[in-house]
Amino acid sequence: MNRSSRIVAGPLGAIVLIVVLMSLAMIVAGTSPLDGFRALFVGALGGRNEIGETLVATTALLFPALGICLAFRAGLFNIGAEGQLLIGALCAGALGAVLTVPGPIGITLMLIAGAIGGGAWGAIAGWMKARFGANEIIATLMLNFVAAAFALELVSGPLKGPLAAGAETAWLDPKYWLPALLPGTRLSIALLFALALALLLQWVFARTVFGYDLRASGEAPEAARRSGINLGRLTWLALTLSGAIAGVGGATIVSGELHRFNTQLSPGYGFTAIAVALVGDLQPLWICLAAFGFGILESGGLAMQASAQVPKDAIHVIEGLIILVLAARRYVATRVEGTLP
Amino acid sequence: MNELIVTLFALTLVKATPIIYAALGGVISERSGVINIGLEGMMAAGAFTAVVASFATHSPILGLAAGIGAGALFGYLLAFAATRFKVDQIVAGTGINLICAGGAAYGLVLLFNQPGASVQVASLGSSYWVLVVLAFALAALLQWVLYRTPWGLRIRASGENPSAVVSAGLNPLLLRTYAVILSGALAGLGGAFLSIGELNLYSDGMTAGRGFIALAAVIFGRWHPVGATVACVIFGFFEALQYVLQGQIAWLPANAMQALPYIAALIALAGVTGRVRAPAADGVPF
Repeated sequence: MNRSSRIVAGPLGAIVLIVVLMSLAMIVAGTSPLDGFRALFVGALGGRNEIGETLVATTALLFPALGICLAFRAGLFNIGAEGQLLIGALCAGALGAVLTVPGPIGITLMLIAGAIGGGAWGAIAGWMKARFGANEIIATLMLNFVAAAFALELVSGPLKGPLAAGAETAWLDPKYWLPALLPGTRLSIALLFALALALLLQWVFARTVFGYDLRASGEAPEAARRSGINLGRLTWLALTLSGAIAGVGGATIVSGELHRFNTQLSPGYGFTAIAVALVGDLQPLWICLAAFGFGILESGGLAMQASAQVPKDAIHVIEGLIILVLAARRYVATRVEGTLP
Repeated sequence: MNELIVTLFALTLVKATPIIYAALGGVISERSGVINIGLEGMMAAGAFTAVVASFATHSPILGLAAGIGAGALFGYLLAFAATRFKVDQIVAGTGINLICAGGAAYGLVLLFNQPGASVQVASLGSSYWVLVVLAFALAALLQWVLYRTPWGLRIRASGENPSAVVSAGLNPLLLRTYAVILSGALAGLGGAFLSIGELNLYSDGMTAGRGFIALAAVIFGRWHPVGATVACVIFGFFEALQYVLQGQIAWLPANAMQALPYIAALIALAGVTGRVRAPAADGVPF
């Protein structure tokens, strides 16, 4: 299949597959697909608030999906976006709780803190891969659990807000809240940041030397190495950037939606984002569209569960099936353990 | 103090058991040339199905069998995708993980009408120690099968040089299919041990990355059944240590301690790779 037909076949096939499988999941749950889909779409797009929530989910998925896409382009499978997002959010929330600078500067600092936190988390796996040849798939996943344990430890103790009931940091001063994009909803201008980032990545992949190196090391590592690309350096750089992007996403959830850090802030965005990146065919602009589609499922899923009694977890089964089907395309250049410098 | 050491030793073996089953599954699959990233999901499938079957029949033995069957089924799914469609095995395995975790969560709401955890069902009770012993016995058996029997040689050849298997008149795709089904069955057994062996219910996320810890154990154990089992005992020790220490030393950060087995797996992964070699055709579609 050539590139253009792949792009059409991917998303279209995915949509058809989603509709068929969702119908099946609804029938199994004893609901007619008509009622189920009505509940889903009314819940996701039925009003100003619903649209706002769908775009909130879109934003939350778009950041980690773009991060995963970047690593994937370098042939690295990052399934640790969940942990990177969490650490980014934690850093942003912890910093935001103690800041005393003007609003815009504070927000900028929080986003940078998110990038640094998420980036550092990605860098651990990148360093392990580049230095020791450690499998990045296992490493990034292990780090998710380490991230969750440390975040819980910190917000149960030292970073816990003075008035917080559960495991969360203190509330942010309203001047550190990202401005609303759709007044009256939780949607913040983080969505615009995510879209701008997608454009930037599209340009980086297509037009820059770094983007070329990334793709070369992902698609033909041996050729890339012989042409003088430092694969080890590229590996940790790709995983660091990948984590940083997910980390910024976490920071925008803190600053834009929740206005504090909470250990429950991600219902698995980092994992759904893998499906988003793959359905988007690793093209940043298509990923934006895929994120919107999965955003509809995420936010409509809750309504579907409440009013049509279809468990929303059906969505995750469908994500998994889509990934399985898309696996028939080759994405990751096979790298044997321990061959990296 | 002696009592504490005995507790720690016993708990280490119990905590190592589900990881050993999954790791043995990982060894046999990778030896045949298929990377099974889906071990985690197959464990969840086994754990959930075992609970459902035990709930329906009130027989934990049937539950165990159903758990093994569910794991084998998803093993077959991966094998089919890997041999027939030559899929990217890592992406496919990730898909299977999502399907199984999501499917169990969907099933929890549908069957037990409650999210998060199932109701309590008939469990193996105190006879779960049989499965602990069986795990170690299976490790020894698999070591013998892989290195001392013709079938083992064929499996290893499929993972090293599938073309050579063809020229010997055998079908490496069929061998890989058998190996991955067996791998799924073992992971399913490990999952069933978690849900109706150690406990008596299924709860969301109860596999907690054990499938991936098992993959780390496979690498640390240099793709040998016995080596992987030793690695699992080490990881099981750190998991047990976390439980034992929590009750004993008050100033230890309890939540951060939960990261212990994962950190141990990370260190093992970084410490050994580079000096070990995977089967030559591991993860390469044929």
